[in-house]
Amino acid sequence: MSSTTNGQRPLLSAVGLSKYFPLETGLLASLRGNTSTVKAVESVTLDVYAGQTVAVVGESGSGKSTLGRLLLRLLQPSAGQALYQGADIFGMNRAELRAFRRQAQIILQDPYASLNPRMRVDQIIREPLDIYDEGSKAERQKRVQELLERVGLNRNHERAFPSELSGGQRQRVGIAAALALSPRVIIADEPTSSLDVSVQAQTLNLLSDLQRDLGLTYVFITHDLSVVQHISDRVAVMYLGKIVEEAPTEILFAEPKHPYTQVLFSAIPLPDPARRMNWDLPKGEPPSPLNPPSGCHFHPRCPQAMSACAHTVPRFQAVGRDHGLACLLYEDGTGS
Amino acid sequence: MSLLSVRDLSTEFRSGGRWLEAVSDVAFDLQRGEILGLVGESGCGKSTIAYSVMRLLARNARIRSGEVWLEDVNLATLDEEELQDLRGRQISMIFQDPTTALDSLFTVGHQVIETLQEHLDLDAAGARGRALELLRQLGIPAAEQRLKAYPYQFSGGMSQRIALAIAIACHPQVLIADEPTTALDVTIQAQILQLIRRLLVDEQGTGVLLITHDLGVVAQVCDRVAVMYAGKIVEFGDVHSIFANPLHPYTQALLNSLPSKGIARGRLENIQGRVPGLADRPAGCRFHPRCPQAKVVCRERVPPLRQVSARQEVACVLYD
Ligand SMILES: Nc1ncnc2c1ncn2[C@@H]1O[C@H](COP(=O)(O)OP(=O)(O)OP(=O)(O)O)[C@@H](O)[C@H]1O
Ligand SMILES: Nc1ncnc2c1ncn2[C@@H]1O[C@H](COP(=O)(O)OP(=O)(O)O)[C@@H](O)[C@H]1O
Ligand code: SF4
Ligand code: SF4
Ligand SMILES: [Mg+2]
Ligand SMILES: [Mg+2]
Repeated sequence: MSSTTNGQRPLLSAVGLSKYFPLETGLLASLRGNTSTVKAVESVTLDVYAGQTVAVVGESGSGKSTLGRLLLRLLQPSAGQALYQGADIFGMNRAELRAFRRQAQIILQDPYASLNPRMRVDQIIREPLDIYDEGSKAERQKRVQELLERVGLNRNHERAFPSELSGGQRQRVGIAAALALSPRVIIADEPTSSLDVSVQAQTLNLLSDLQRDLGLTYVFITHDLSVVQHISDRVAVMYLGKIVEEAPTEILFAEPKHPYTQVLFSAIPLPDPARRMNWDLPKGEPPSPLNPPSGCHFHPRCPQAMSACAHTVPRFQAVGRDHGLACLLYEDGTGS
Repeated sequence: MSLLSVRDLSTEFRSGGRWLEAVSDVAFDLQRGEILGLVGESGCGKSTIAYSVMRLLARNARIRSGEVWLEDVNLATLDEEELQDLRGRQISMIFQDPTTALDSLFTVGHQVIETLQEHLDLDAAGARGRALELLRQLGIPAAEQRLKAYPYQFSGGMSQRIALAIAIACHPQVLIADEPTTALDVTIQAQILQLIRRLLVDEQGTGVLLITHDLGVVAQVCDRVAVMYAGKIVEFGDVHSIFANPLHPYTQALLNSLPSKGIARGRLENIQGRVPGLADRPAGCRFHPRCPQAKVVCRERVPPLRQVSARQEVACVLYD
């Protein structure tokens, strides 16, 4: 994978990171046979450089949110490491963890669900400052004002409850709260998925402005490839818990190599009636991660599957500068 | 004669002791074998139109005026019993959340077969055979077993296919689809849209009213599109013309705010503000507080929808 960018060290990395959820016994287990864990994230390796945006894309259940939560140590991994400035976040002591938590924040998809409905906007934005005991009362209040202005909200919104705001305004409140402690990296989990295009555009513009002005680093989780193209420097494509392809955005969009990436791209409805899709669609649905297919997880749906794909697990390997993927078509000795 | 013809439809909701109009003088025709898209931001009244046509409105809602002709029958004047008979047989609807159309207590097979027997003269074996055929047509693998399964055992995409199977079981002439793929992954969305386009519209000649806020979906599958803003149709016409040459400032703004428009990174254009609530709809052109091209006259004059070219109608003073 991308080992260096201008010889820099990555700000945040995943190294062979895995998360297996134990499966509850009972109805689900008996329905699905005898599998005992869900492999939500499996051996993910990913580097995120300071000031860049890495998009993580994939369909529902592919493990994007789980990866995001692991990178913030909101979940314990089953295997592997997550490094922040070279230090394993899972090995941090209390003080180190407290320092890390200030520098790494999360923005969630549904601003309805993620904001406390009984708190007013200024309280929500001030809460991280209170928790970290930042500055005097007056300084906190001033910081809240700054943040409100920074995300394009005004004094009228200060004393409002989340229910009194539009979806886009609620998302701004979530962003302001995430910025309160001046973090360096923000994990944004589907921050615009529930918004109308017009409001989505406002939010994406705000996130770009903040990145430019504050030098922020983003891990941008989404299922929407048109957003990815607009916002990210690099893209990692996930399928059933694994990264199947990773590359700089322009390269991935110009020449997607992994059959799954190609399928995903061909299914985006382009807003251009002169370029209608050929409807060459993959059969079936993403399989359940409770019982993933053998070999390459994508083989039952892959238009280019070979017989080896049903039992050989493809290795992730470089296919070009900064471009990696996991597919037997590109492994030596098999296929092309 | 059009398949479905909506004329001067106005629908209102009772709220805070007042009747507030959500849909104002909306008119459109739907032809056989076409997909007509209905787009606009959330709250513009798209679903309200769908529910008005189906006469499935909420308790606090009423159609204030207007006609809804399904061929030569005005649905707006039928009683509930007559409507029951038409729904499912002549006109059907699917929703964003497919589970609303499925009963969790019964097997999927029971529900499909029940719909078939309700409207068609089929015996048990005949209905079962037709149900199996439907599921296969809709790309549902292992159809035999699926008939015995309960709705909770299905993914979102599979549930939407089943809902579609039930909706089209009796070959309705009109299908109203309200955000049918909004909750689904792109690959599954593409499969469902393909089914609607190929199987229903191109092969069977069904007329589909497709409600969506996704302009990509409109561009890919619709023949014509109506753009709605704050309860009114502001632009209407052929999809190719409107995407190539959007005339209404609102349509232009919606298209410009799409991230995929420019490949390069940079700022997206956007519309300031938001769709006004029912009680706050401005006088004159309802878009004027957000319109970059608004003039003084726009605050008073309500621009009517006018034909400006062979394939486009627009409601804006700039084209008077
Ligand atoms: N706490 C948990 N316990 C058990 N299984 C879980 C848990 N959290 C996630 N999973 C499972 O792990 C897999 C990956 O889930 P995750 O939420 O990371 O996917 P995602 O890519 O974010 O999907 P979406 O696009 O729907 O948000 C799924 O199969 C999910 O059901
Ligand atoms: N049952 C209801 N009571 C009161 N107002 C409603 C009701 N249903 C919808 N509305 C209002 O009517 C307007 C149009 O809503 P809707 O048709 O759902 O829009 P869309 O489908 O375009 O998002 C919105 O302002 C909405 O808040
Ligand atoms: S390894 Fe085989 S099945 Fe998997 S993506 Fe490559 S060709 Fe397709
Ligand atoms: S009528 Fe006026 S305010 Fe309305 S869209 Fe046209 S220019 Fe804008
Ligand atoms: Mg998620
Ligand atoms: Mg709606």
